[in-house]
Amino acid sequence: MRAVRLFCAGAELEAAQLRSNFWFVALTALAAVSFLVMVSLFGLTGAYAPVALINLDGGPYSQSFIEALNGAHHSFALKYMSAEEAETALHSGRLVGIITIPAGFSADVARGITVPIDVRIDNVNVDMTNDVQRALPAAIVAFGKRHNFPGVRVEMVEHDVLPHDTGYIPYLVVSALALDAMVIAGILGAMTTAREWENKTVKMLRLSPASSGVVLAGKLGVAALVAATALGFALLAIIFVYGVVPVAPWATVFTLAACVAIFTCIGAWVGALLKRTLAAVPLLFGLAMPFYVDSGALEPTRFDGEAIWIIAHLSPVYYAVGVLEWAFHGLHVTPEPIYVNLLVLAAIAIVTAALTLGRLSKGEAR
Amino acid sequence: MIGAIWGMARHDLAVWLRSPAAIAAALLPALGMGVLVAVLTNSVGQQLVALVVKSEGRFAHRMARIIRGDADAYLLEEMTEADALRALGEQRVAAIIVVPENFDEAVAKGNAAVDLYLNNVDIDLADDIRRSVTRSVAEFDAPQLGLLGELSGPSAGTLLPNPYRVAIAEHDLRATNVSFLQYQVIPIVVLIVISIGLLGTALLTARDFERRTAKLMMLSPAGRLPLVVGRLLGGALITFALVTPLVALGFLTHYIPYCAEDSEAPLWLTLLLSGPCGWILPVPTWTHGLALFGLFAAVTLTTVGLGTLLGIALRDARLVTMTGLNVSAYMFFLGGGFTTVAFLPDWIQTVSRFVPTRYAIDGLRQALFYPDLIGFERDITVLSFCAVASCILASFTLARAWRRG
Repeated sequence: MRAVRLFCAGAELEAAQLRSNFWFVALTALAAVSFLVMVSLFGLTGAYAPVALINLDGGPYSQSFIEALNGAHHSFALKYMSAEEAETALHSGRLVGIITIPAGFSADVARGITVPIDVRIDNVNVDMTNDVQRALPAAIVAFGKRHNFPGVRVEMVEHDVLPHDTGYIPYLVVSALALDAMVIAGILGAMTTAREWENKTVKMLRLSPASSGVVLAGKLGVAALVAATALGFALLAIIFVYGVVPVAPWATVFTLAACVAIFTCIGAWVGALLKRTLAAVPLLFGLAMPFYVDSGALEPTRFDGEAIWIIAHLSPVYYAVGVLEWAFHGLHVTPEPIYVNLLVLAAIAIVTAALTLGRLSKGEAR
Repeated sequence: MIGAIWGMARHDLAVWLRSPAAIAAALLPALGMGVLVAVLTNSVGQQLVALVVKSEGRFAHRMARIIRGDADAYLLEEMTEADALRALGEQRVAAIIVVPENFDEAVAKGNAAVDLYLNNVDIDLADDIRRSVTRSVAEFDAPQLGLLGELSGPSAGTLLPNPYRVAIAEHDLRATNVSFLQYQVIPIVVLIVISIGLLGTALLTARDFERRTAKLMMLSPAGRLPLVVGRLLGGALITFALVTPLVALGFLTHYIPYCAEDSEAPLWLTLLLSGPCGWILPVPTWTHGLALFGLFAAVTLTTVGLGTLLGIALRDARLVTMTGLNVSAYMFFLGGGFTTVAFLPDWIQTVSRFVPTRYAIDGLRQALFYPDLIGFERDITVLSFCAVASCILASFTLARAWRRG
């Protein structure tokens, strides 16, 4: 009974502290939604290179070729403009390239003559250049297949491992949820413990006959609850704004709750280690991006090479993304089974909670 | 008056350098983004793919040679079928390309197939591989559809007929490609300017209110104007002090002998220097150099003015940190960080017109990577206007806030 009262007292204290820091909490929640928006912006430029199309032919084969360009694996966002406008846009970085279909294209193709398409590329960005260089042959092959031109001896036959592709933005926003959990829960957890040193109440906690573990549990419980509420808004945005519905709703909720608990414990440890909110916040923000990108957030980490994959195991976000992508899309993005990812997350939470308690009670022995 | 301005600026610089938390708040998120770009550099472009050649025929060998030759697209590993399937299951490869046993016979009949087993976990990765394999397979019947053919086939006046009846005459705008890291590091530099200028000045301003030192300053015989100007100058100096070495490093890396591709440096040294060597900026002409300086100065003053306004409005270091980090992140992404604004949907392009960092990133990329300065006039005009407006507004607001204590 005494432990329950202690827990409730700790929770009440933390709730009062968070109420007095309402704007700080609100800004932390805003940061969570911001991450979703930013990740979406990044995803929007992952495909569809803006390319000007100048069609000097206008015949049926040129129309068919344009359709093939539009269907070439989400590669081109074709813009129709005059040659002068295209030239200016290309030189000021607003286009990746200009494709010019020459006059007489349809007539020559009908006669079986190979026609060169003029392509001017602004090769300032090697990634975009590669995409365009690879997409053009894909469009030409699709064009040739559509018209059954003779002489093609080899074609590619695709066998997909999964029944359907997952869109890039739906994939990215789910992994962004793990990042959100880390930032929100981490910062609120860090604030909870760092405040003990900033307000010089850590001595009272140490001198009190009450168990500091129970008090800390109460305080972190409230911090986690607030973080979970903020994360809930991000989750609703993903479901209703992005239209990404989890295939396993209960697993999603359970995973997110576990992520919140774990990252609150990690944040509490960081706060106890640095003893200042102002130092803990930028550290968690700074760690968030590298942790995020090296966690299978953009594609399964192992596809980036063994070295990066091994390093990824240091990031708790790696395990969280592994579980969340499975819960939302049914994808396995880590070679480890889902239950292993969950066990590692639980182990991290236990270790960091123990380390935090160790920091808070440091001095009792002296 | 100049002495008072300089004294205030030096004081702010000293305070800031003695605040590790403030330095961390400004630098860590930007450095985190830098790490992100460095990791992304490794993961874009090439994909881990297994190649299984089950035929010993001459056409099968030719097909395999074409696939092996496309080193820009694949990090290829040749395996047996069983090993490849295991690797696909363990995510050691993203796809398997199989040249089947009957390949040569099928080619003779005109209906050969190359099988692609693809882990289509997300569309970006899957499309990259589809595009690459389609090109490699097409190259069998149409050699000029390969990269070499695109670059030096019809564009150099040599056109070979192909069964698809279309060839590519590619003309590149510039002699050398800019690496992904170089292209993306420009927004990171701008992010560092925003973080230091905005957060640094905001934290200094908020600190004066928290510690009630603003009243002391009002009692100083120096007068309000020199102190206000000194605060803005201090913020600008802090930013320049941290950004100048970073940009200078980008130019100095040209002179690191081990950065050359044919360097015979030991592997450990190559790995150690891969970060700095990736950060090589093209040496600009003097006109482009002046343009770079102008853009940096304008964006620095803009962020210093905005930081001062933020500090006055919030007057609380914790709130300033969280707000500053949020504002910096939005300014970075909406300004074209990690993306090219011109490639985004129209409504986002409209929003980004009101974000000063867009003009800074556009202008810096134009000055560093393009031979001319198209659009520079617009970029520098907008940034200069933002700099003047934010500094004037910040000066008036700060003077009034100090007066009221």
